Amino acid sequence: MKVLILFAALLCMSCLQAEQLPRTPEGRPDLTGTYDVATLTPLERPKAYGDRLYLSPEQARKMADDVAALKRAGDQISDPTRSAPPAGGDGSPGAAGNVGGYNSFWIDNGDQAASLGGSFRTSIIIDPPNGRRPPMTAQGSRRMAEFFSLFGKNTGAAWWLDRPGPGPYDNMEMRPNGERCLLSFGSTSGPPMLPALYNNMKRIVQTNDTVMIMAEMIHDARVVRLNSKHPPEHIRYWMGDSIGFWEGDTLVVDTRNFRERPALYGADANLHVVEKFTLLADGNLHYQFTVDNPTVWQSSWSGEYPWPPWPASSDKVYEYACHEGNYALGNILRGARLLEQDAQALVADPSG
Amino acid sequence: MTVITIKRAAAIAGLLGLLFNSTQSWSHHAFGAEFDPNRPLILRGPVTKVEWVNPHAWIHMEHTNEAGEKEQWMVEGGTPNTLLRRGLSRRSLMPGSVIIVDGYQSKDRSNRANGRDVTFEDGSKIFMGSSGTGAPKDGRDASER
Repeated sequence: MKVLILFAALLCMSCLQAEQLPRTPEGRPDLTGTYDVATLTPLERPKAYGDRLYLSPEQARKMADDVAALKRAGDQISDPTRSAPPAGGDGSPGAAGNVGGYNSFWIDNGDQAASLGGSFRTSIIIDPPNGRRPPMTAQGSRRMAEFFSLFGKNTGAAWWLDRPGPGPYDNMEMRPNGERCLLSFGSTSGPPMLPALYNNMKRIVQTNDTVMIMAEMIHDARVVRLNSKHPPEHIRYWMGDSIGFWEGDTLVVDTRNFRERPALYGADANLHVVEKFTLLADGNLHYQFTVDNPTVWQSSWSGEYPWPPWPASSDKVYEYACHEGNYALGNILRGARLLEQDAQALVADPSG
Repeated sequence: MTVITIKRAAAIAGLLGLLFNSTQSWSHHAFGAEFDPNRPLILRGPVTKVEWVNPHAWIHMEHTNEAGEKEQWMVEGGTPNTLLRRGLSRRSLMPGSVIIVDGYQSKDRSNRANGRDVTFEDGSKIFMGSSGTGAPKDGRDASER
């Protein structure tokens, strides 16, 4: 009897939630709006959490506190009498590439872990159970190794001259799509659409036959045709071809026909992504995705995280007009030519 | 006034590195590809113009070198969208404001540098109170693995 009462209560809650959803004149949940998907929850789960999907409330609070402390530290006053940073580089890791980046106030990567149903998550990936991408295939690994061979430590010298084949700075087409302002970086446009270090806004505009999903970076707009078919295989797109349909109150989007280098890191043209968008009664959009790319990963993998509505939902997202201000690409290519000239001069006159 | 020490700055840099060792840590381009670690510099002088543009904002300033000559420099920052959402605008850093910048010169040896740390002349951060941490990471650089 108790079970029946509980079941009836859950059913009523579900009905109530369904009734509370904003709907289009056609009766579909109205997803139109702006969402801020920034979160401290990483795509892949730190190994220390093992198969644990959830953070305890204390762990979630500690994560938020630690990041807040880092942000406060970044805002501390610097020594006004400071000197230039060290010659030879400051040892900064990653893309900061031994020269540092920029101040923390430019960054906007959220202030708490992702929460679904009141529980904080250790990772966006939920399958495999360890919250990490499955191992790569031999082909996928080989492709990544070839790709990484194009990168070297930033010593201020033309290190690439010592390697065979084309160099990473030979021409603009050797540079990453994001650096060329062609496609989002960090898979913010995806699909799957993932959070990044900053500019995490998404804007959805929905009609009866089309859903547009715009990623702030690099102002990429995905246009999902509802109840349509994919074009022939030889027609390829930067963000793939997206078609969608309604499965009850959930919008399902199927994307394939990618070009060779999709926004998703590591993926290739065989990428197939299925996404599900479900509007929750609390206003959050429940975003789920499954990645299937058998030439790259040994099995498919899935993830989910909430897209909270942006409080100023009537505001439009600032345009991320990338080409106009992209001084960096020219600096990089011109700089490479100078370093190559230095190397050639050194060969001609080893005494320097 | 709390002045951050070199040792403490190094510790923070280490923490930031740990924080950004995640898949969220993507930025428009690798600063390591653009700036020369063998050309460190410190610039002091008034702002002359700010370009609130993507993918990165550029602060123009006038630096006076050791010989007393005035030089025009451009300093690279981050995306302006983040600051605009926090209520900051093109009027938040006006020409004439004196700033200090430490960073590294562009590999093309033009008067361009990264704004590794951009502060007012008393050392305070120019957009104090904003959130965020650390340096950009592209994810396509082998050294990031």
